[in-house]
Amino acid sequence: MSNISLLLDGFSVALSTHHVLIMVGGVLLGLVVGVLPGLGAPNGVSLLLPLTFSMDPVSAIILLTSMYWGALFGGSTTSILFNIPGEPSSVATTFDGYPMARQGEAVRALTLAFSSAGIGALTGVIVITLLSGWVANFALRFGAAEYFAVYFMAFASFIGMSSGSPFKTLVSMMLGFACATIGADTISGESRLTFDFEQLIGGVSFLVAVIGLFGLGELIMTMEEDLTFHGVKARLSLREIGRAVLELPRYWATVLRSALIGCWMGITPGGPTAASFMSYAIGARFAKDKARFGKGAPEGIVAPETADHSAGSCALLPMLALGIPGSATAAVMMGGLMIWGLAPGPMLFTTRPDFVWGLIASMYLGNIIAVILVLATVPLFAYILRAPFRIVGPMITVVCIIGAYTVASHTFDIWLALIFGVAGYVFKKLDYPLAPFVLAMVLGDKAEDAFRQAMLTSGGSASIFWSNGLVGTMMALGVLLLGLPLISRMLRETGIGLRRKALPQQREIGST
Amino acid sequence: MEISRRTSEIATSAATALIGLIVCYGALENGIAWEEAGPSSGFFPFCVGCLILLGSAATGAQATLRPTEGQPPFLDGERARAAILFFLPIVAFAALAVFLGLYIAMAIYIVYAMYGPGKLKLATSIAAGLGVAVVNFVIFEKLFMVPLLKGPVLNAVGIY
Repeated sequence: MSNISLLLDGFSVALSTHHVLIMVGGVLLGLVVGVLPGLGAPNGVSLLLPLTFSMDPVSAIILLTSMYWGALFGGSTTSILFNIPGEPSSVATTFDGYPMARQGEAVRALTLAFSSAGIGALTGVIVITLLSGWVANFALRFGAAEYFAVYFMAFASFIGMSSGSPFKTLVSMMLGFACATIGADTISGESRLTFDFEQLIGGVSFLVAVIGLFGLGELIMTMEEDLTFHGVKARLSLREIGRAVLELPRYWATVLRSALIGCWMGITPGGPTAASFMSYAIGARFAKDKARFGKGAPEGIVAPETADHSAGSCALLPMLALGIPGSATAAVMMGGLMIWGLAPGPMLFTTRPDFVWGLIASMYLGNIIAVILVLATVPLFAYILRAPFRIVGPMITVVCIIGAYTVASHTFDIWLALIFGVAGYVFKKLDYPLAPFVLAMVLGDKAEDAFRQAMLTSGGSASIFWSNGLVGTMMALGVLLLGLPLISRMLRETGIGLRRKALPQQREIGST
Repeated sequence: MEISRRTSEIATSAATALIGLIVCYGALENGIAWEEAGPSSGFFPFCVGCLILLGSAATGAQATLRPTEGQPPFLDGERARAAILFFLPIVAFAALAVFLGLYIAMAIYIVYAMYGPGKLKLATSIAAGLGVAVVNFVIFEKLFMVPLLKGPVLNAVGIY
C-alpha cells in the first residue's frame, strides 16, 4: 500500500533528533497549557504560532501538534486530581475520575485515563494514515461549488448538532464570519466593514480573537468564580501504574466504541468536547453496572478519554485533506499553515508529501511521548497547582497580552484582545459556543471565495449547487443537518425520540 | 447589586443585534446587488448581518418568554467586583504598554497584581515583576528573536 511507504518516508523526516526534541518541548508546553485553566489548546497554539513564523513549516507543525497532544493530556490531570477540567474536552473525565481519585486510587485513575487516551489518539492517527490520501484524492475533483457545499455542511452540522441553543450557535458563527470580512475584500480589493478605521484595513487576526475569547475570557471567568484547587494527593508507583495498564483490556468494548465515536465526531466538526460527552453518555447506557457511573467507575474514565483523544487527532484529517478543520484548535493550526505559505487541502498531498507524512508520522511519536511525559510530570503539576490562582492568573494574563502583540506587532491588537476577552467572558457565561466563531473566522474568506467563484462559473445562478449528484447530495445533507434541532424536537414531542440519559449538570463550554 | 440571567440574555442579544445592524450598514456601503459576475462585495456580509439579526432576535425572544424561576443570577455584587478588579488592571496594563512598552508595563502590572490582590510581600512582588520582565526579554528577544515593544524608557537607556 502506498500510504505505508509514504508513512515510512514520513518517519524518516520525523525521527531526526531535532524533531524529537521539538516534540518533547511541544508536549511539555502543551501540558502546561492543558493543566492551567485559562490557557487552553486553541489559545496555547495561537500564542505559540507567531513564534514559528521563522521556523521551517515541518518543524513548526510538529511543534504545534505536539503542543496540542500535550494540552489534551494535561487537561485530564486536573480533571482527575482537582475536579477542575483544564480543558473543556476533559469535563466528562471529572465525573468518574475525581471520585476514583478521592477513593485513594488517583494513580489508577490517571493511568487508566492516559493509557486509554493514548489508545484513542493512536486509533485516530491510524484512521488519518489510512483515509487521508483517499479523501484528498477524492477532493481533488472538487470545484468551487463542491467546496462551498463542504463548508456549508461543516457549518450546518455545528448548528444542527449543537448541544445548546442553535440560535446562539448561529449568532456566534455569524459574528465570526463578520470579523473575517473586515478588511480588504479578497476578490474586488474594496475595504469592507472598516468604517474608515485605519487599523482595521489589514483585517482582524483570528489569533487575536482566540487569545481574547479563549484566554482572557476564561481568565476573567476563573477569577470571578474564585477558583481554589482542592487536590487529591497522588504518589506514583510503577507497580500501580502497571496494574492499571493490565486492567485496560477488560474494557475493550468501551474502548472500541468510544474510539469509533471519537473518530466520527473528530472528522465531522463535532470536536473532542462533544465526543467525550457523547461517549460518556453512551458508555453509561451500555454499562452492566449503571449505578457505579459517577462514583468512580473505570469505564467512566476510559470512555470520555478515548473519545476525546481519537476526536482530537481525527480533527486534523479534514484539515489536512480538505482544508476544513474539525475543531477550534485545528482551525488555528490551519490558519498557521496558510501563514507559512502552505495551502491546506488535497493539493498539499502532492506538493508537499514530506510535510504531510512527516506530520502524520510525528503524530504517532508525539502521542507516545505525551503518554510518558504526562505520567512523569504529574507530581510537578500537582505541585504547581497548589499556588493560588490569584498569583498564577496575572502571569497567564501577561502571556496572553504578549501573545496578542506578537501576532503583528500592533498595540491595537492588545485592545482588540481585551474586547474579545470581555465578549468571550459574557458568551461563556451565557452558553454561547465559541468554537463556531473561530471556525467561521478562519474559514470565512475561503467559504465566501468558494461561493463567489461558483457564482462566477455559473453566471450568477444558484442552481450550480444542485448541478450534479455530488454537490447536490452535500447541500441536501447540509440542509438536513440545519433542520436537525427541529426534527429531533418534533420526534421528541411525538414520543418516538430516544430518551437520552441525563448528564450531570455542567456549564457548557466551547469545544476545543 | 444583582444582574439576572434574563436581563443579561436580553442585553447580550440586543448587543449582537446592534452588531448585526452595523454589519448590514457597512455591507450596504459596498453594495449588495447581484452583478453580471455574481454578487458584489457587500452581498455576503449583508447576509451575515441579517443572520446575526435573526439569531439575536430568536435568542432575545427565547430569553423573554422562558420562565425565570430557579435560574441562578448572571452576576451578583461580589462576583462582579472580583471580575472587575481583575479586568481593570489589565486595561491599565494595556494602556501602559502603549506608552512605556511591554516590558516595563508587565513589570508594573505583576508587581501590582502580586502585592495587591495576590497579597504577597512587597519585596517578593517587586522581585516577581522584574523576574517576569527579564525572563520574557530573554525568551522573546534572545531565544525566538521576536522583538516586543520597548517604549521610550528602554530606548533611552540603549535597549532597542
